[in-house]
Amino acid sequence: MPISVGRYEQLIQDLRAEVRPQREWIERQGLLLIVGHFLSGVAAGTWLFSLIFDFQAGLTVAYCIAALSGAAHLGFLGRPRRFWKMWHARSSWIARGFIGLTLFLTGGFLYLPPLLLPVAPWSSSSLIAQAGYFLALAGTILLLFYKGFVYASSKGVPFWTSPILPALYLAYALRGGVATLLVIFSLNGIGLDLWELGLLELWIGISAAVMILFYLGVMSGSNPIEQYSVRELLRGRASVSFYVGTLFIGLFIPIAIGLVGLGTPLSLAAVATVGLASVIGDFFVKYSIAKAGIYRSLRSPAHWDGGLTAQARK
Amino acid sequence: MRWGMVIDLKRCIGCYGCQLSCKAEHGTPPGVFFARVLKQEEGRYPTVRQLFLPVLCFHCAEPPCVDVCPTEASFKWPDGIVDIDAEKCVGCRACMMACPYTQRYYHDEERYYFPNNGPTPYERARSERHESGVVMKCNFCRDRVGAGKEPACVANCPTLARYFGDLDDPTSEVSRLIKERGGYTLHPELGTGPSVYYLPP
Repeated sequence: MPISVGRYEQLIQDLRAEVRPQREWIERQGLLLIVGHFLSGVAAGTWLFSLIFDFQAGLTVAYCIAALSGAAHLGFLGRPRRFWKMWHARSSWIARGFIGLTLFLTGGFLYLPPLLLPVAPWSSSSLIAQAGYFLALAGTILLLFYKGFVYASSKGVPFWTSPILPALYLAYALRGGVATLLVIFSLNGIGLDLWELGLLELWIGISAAVMILFYLGVMSGSNPIEQYSVRELLRGRASVSFYVGTLFIGLFIPIAIGLVGLGTPLSLAAVATVGLASVIGDFFVKYSIAKAGIYRSLRSPAHWDGGLTAQARK
Repeated sequence: MRWGMVIDLKRCIGCYGCQLSCKAEHGTPPGVFFARVLKQEEGRYPTVRQLFLPVLCFHCAEPPCVDVCPTEASFKWPDGIVDIDAEKCVGCRACMMACPYTQRYYHDEERYYFPNNGPTPYERARSERHESGVVMKCNFCRDRVGAGKEPACVANCPTLARYFGDLDDPTSEVSRLIKERGGYTLHPELGTGPSVYYLPP
């Protein structure tokens, strides 16, 4: 049996610490969850905008990304063979995400073949394809929304329990979709209206930047654990990924190139750079926020004696 | 019927008896502590005092860990005990993120106290019930309670700092202590309704 002495020592050190960082959703296997969340958002966004812009290549790519996202989620689970038990959607956002992914993959499987294959068993106007269209659309909507709520319902990590987070993750999923279309477009240069897409990318990018600032502003004025998480993000163990991945690559580069693109036409390489940078930023915003997560503390003086110590200090 | 616990912080001397008896009862792997004692020092020499806060699963009336579980592996018994059905758990660890008291542990791999020698016969006998790849937590020693005994941490507390009983029964000792001595819970602002109360020192 593998023995991870280092991990044991880390756990003991965390249990003794004043503040305990969450590691289960970011380190080792946990990284696969972040990858899964990132990919599912990109897949849903890509599918949605491919439908809007009637872009078949985008639909295919979205489907493949969603399948990869499913694989990443399975890789994260401690008992992946039991994945089919995750149907308790009455109150669990993880179950809703699982249902969303199932609907999406099933719907896509029914909707895509007539569009892609010259000889498909059913036509794109058939009932099967139409059912697939609506199943995939329902799955897309669930995938766009569920991630933010998974984090927001995590009462153990105060930094995540904010109503801003679902909105932020929705914005990033949409942006990831637009960015993926930009990357696909840059590969062949046909099939899409670059001006519309670029403007959309710029608008969502600026909105995401504003939302991040708002989120950090609200959190830095909250309780000490949330403030600690903000410090982790700005000056602690999540700062490199936040500054480099989220802010510089994910926001500064795409917004700067996007603003230049408002005045002059962009080359395909610049379009690809905007797309790739946005997608990378999408990953790192999830990574950074997960990494800055700190568990709610039981070490507040008020807990130890029902507030007597705190009163005595006054 | 709602099982609950009262911990008298005036009596607790931080001996770790609860932690050790829990380990002995459940045979939990290294790094997993269903019952723990947090210590804190207050003041400056020569007026220093040491405070102890024993913690365990709080068996909330409105458990957030149950709400977020995608498989219903985390559930609440009719008597108020919050438990995990290990055979349903997929190891997504959402319950760990949802628990405001950080009282859940992910058993990621088999681990023994003497890594170079493998499991001792005692560990083998005690730990075979614990699956890996799932989340673990205190269940108020449900087997013992079903057999009419107190949880191990209550039965083995040398200073009798722990009381166990029915919170719904106003005549029970736990209800009386909470009422008479001003029992309080941790993080009441979250509305989870913990079943573990503390009596101030």
